[in-house]
Amino acid sequence: MILAKLAIGAASTLVFATVYTFREGTVRVDVDEHREGGAHVHVWAPAAVVPMALHFVPDDKLQHVCDHMEEWAPLAHITAQELKHYPNTTFVEVEDGDQHVKISTVGTKIQVDVDSPDENVHVAVPLAMIDDVITQIRERQPAS
Amino acid sequence: MDRFSHHIARRATLSLAAAVLFAPIALLAQANSTSSSSSSTSDRWLHVRVINTDDKNETVKVNVPLELAEKVLPAINKDQLHDGKVRISHGDMNGVDLKMLLDALHTAKDGEYVTVQATDSDVKVAKQGGYMYVHVTEKTSKNGKSSEKSKVEVKVPMKVVDALLSAGKDELDLVAALRALSANGDTELVSVKSDDSTVHIWLDSKNISD
Repeated sequence: MILAKLAIGAASTLVFATVYTFREGTVRVDVDEHREGGAHVHVWAPAAVVPMALHFVPDDKLQHVCDHMEEWAPLAHITAQELKHYPNTTFVEVEDGDQHVKISTVGTKIQVDVDSPDENVHVAVPLAMIDDVITQIRERQPAS
Repeated sequence: MDRFSHHIARRATLSLAAAVLFAPIALLAQANSTSSSSSSTSDRWLHVRVINTDDKNETVKVNVPLELAEKVLPAINKDQLHDGKVRISHGDMNGVDLKMLLDALHTAKDGEYVTVQATDSDVKVAKQGGYMYVHVTEKTSKNGKSSEKSKVEVKVPMKVVDALLSAGKDELDLVAALRALSANGDTELVSVKSDDSTVHIWLDSKNISD
């Protein structure tokens, strides 16, 4: 009986984790430096982790971000909201010889791709996560 | 019977668990299919394309939905730009009252208003069929022969000019201009051709620039 309860508990946790991960999407960061000893970073994490991790950032470290919050937060919020209406769209594309930069939306994510002889950088962030992070930083702002 | 009902209950529980587990995936797929069709075909897009004909053949392509620009612009409050309006001071324009100039152009009849022919450039400002045209041709002189160095052609619907002027004194309403622009059909707004680069800014209903 106890084992069954434990199994139900584990299964429901898994279900909630799955639901939450799918709702929030995933963050993808790939960095490959094309030089000897260059960095190769490949992160694929649930986007829900980022706002959670923000809780553990000390206030003094967030202060610098908060200082500029009033200026760019409304812009970032509206942009994130509006970009959701334009899935799978390329907004900026720059080709310069063997360098290529692309800023686009892929589904509900904003994606930045940089391909150059020195390095390849690919970042994909769910638009909903950007909004969550902004909201959380705003909430952490000290009252003026 | 008891064993049978227990078997049914176990199957139902399994089905429910499977449904709950797969629901997010199904919902995600549904959300994606809905969102990909949410971008209406009537959307108006502003495209910018810059091609440098140097060794590297640099190309810059920018595609901006006008609706997005209309909503994002009022959120930018920096320097002269506030609430989607840009403040202009006469000092910045070398004493020229831009608003009065555009207002005069609006009320004037169709025709060519400014023609400047100099050794290094020709400038023409005209109004025709509800559009304002500005043509600038930069010239270069080699061995006494004059040749075209660059050509700039700007075509702005007068409705957009009117919308620009709809703000208060010393202000240009960019959001109103974008709204007026979105009501316009497919238009080539700016074209620059020079020895080493071409610039095109145009408006259409495609979300890609090719």
